[in-house]
Amino acid sequence: MPRTLEDVGYRIYWFTWALLLGLTLLMLATGYLVLPKLVLVVLLILAMLIKALLIGAHFMHLRFEKLSLVLAVAGGILATATALFFLISIDGMRILRLSLP
Amino acid sequence: MENSATVSTLDSPWGGAASPFGVSWQKLMMWVFIISDALLFAGLLASYGFVRLASPHWPNRAEVFHLQFIGLMTFLLISSSATMATAVGGARQGNRTLTLRFLFLTILGGLAFLGMQAYEWATLIGEGARLDANPWGVPAFTAFFFLLTGFHGSHVLSGVIILAVVALRSAAGRSSPHGVELAGLYWHFVDLVWVFIFTLFYLI
Repeated sequence: MPRTLEDVGYRIYWFTWALLLGLTLLMLATGYLVLPKLVLVVLLILAMLIKALLIGAHFMHLRFEKLSLVLAVAGGILATATALFFLISIDGMRILRLSLP
Repeated sequence: MENSATVSTLDSPWGGAASPFGVSWQKLMMWVFIISDALLFAGLLASYGFVRLASPHWPNRAEVFHLQFIGLMTFLLISSSATMATAVGGARQGNRTLTLRFLFLTILGGLAFLGMQAYEWATLIGEGARLDANPWGVPAFTAFFFLLTGFHGSHVLSGVIILAVVALRSAAGRSSPHGVELAGLYWHFVDLVWVFIFTLFYLI
């Protein structure tokens, strides 16, 4: 398995591009499928997360960086986004109770 | 004595040494910026999620937008990320021609995306969409549409300007591979954000 970016060259970018394009087409195709709403949402979110991972790992080169940087970036985003979500949720829950027109 | 103390501090047991993240400070700061900018979008998307859940009705996006058109915009942004990554690869190899060619293609992709977004905005505004009202009955729908796509579009615009500056500097032989890589990180982040907006706002 290649350990550095130099080992894989440009192939990895266009392979990632093809995967991203395929996933996007699949996501658009779900609009024509008759599926329960929950299944559809889970499928779309899964595809979204795979696309985000592909971009982060291959285009942004996180796959080839030191583990400490990868953990700092992933942990930083997850920890702060979670904190932010709970800060917003105080008002968010109030909005849910009020119910918008 | 002082020298040996410095060495023992740098050679930490966990292997961090003088560069614990193994990247330059410029790249580390770009990552810090990306994390903080990601929070801006995380906040916007979380707010959108709460409002969406609180609304008893939400317009059917397939009836408001041409999803094939949005799919084409997504294709353009994904393709521009691939060309940007190739430009970064070219810069690392010291191949200026390849770098410039793919930087140019990336800028072109960014401009095409912006043009299509402007067309989408103009079409919706023509149909009566405003920040506080729209013909589909849920005012928050267009408020979030303009907010999310507007913030993202402003990031694309600044990305295109940054890439143009990097391309000009590269053409003049004044840009380092490192500079191209930092611009690339920002551009991929813009693509990454669109992945979330495309799924959460247009498809779900």
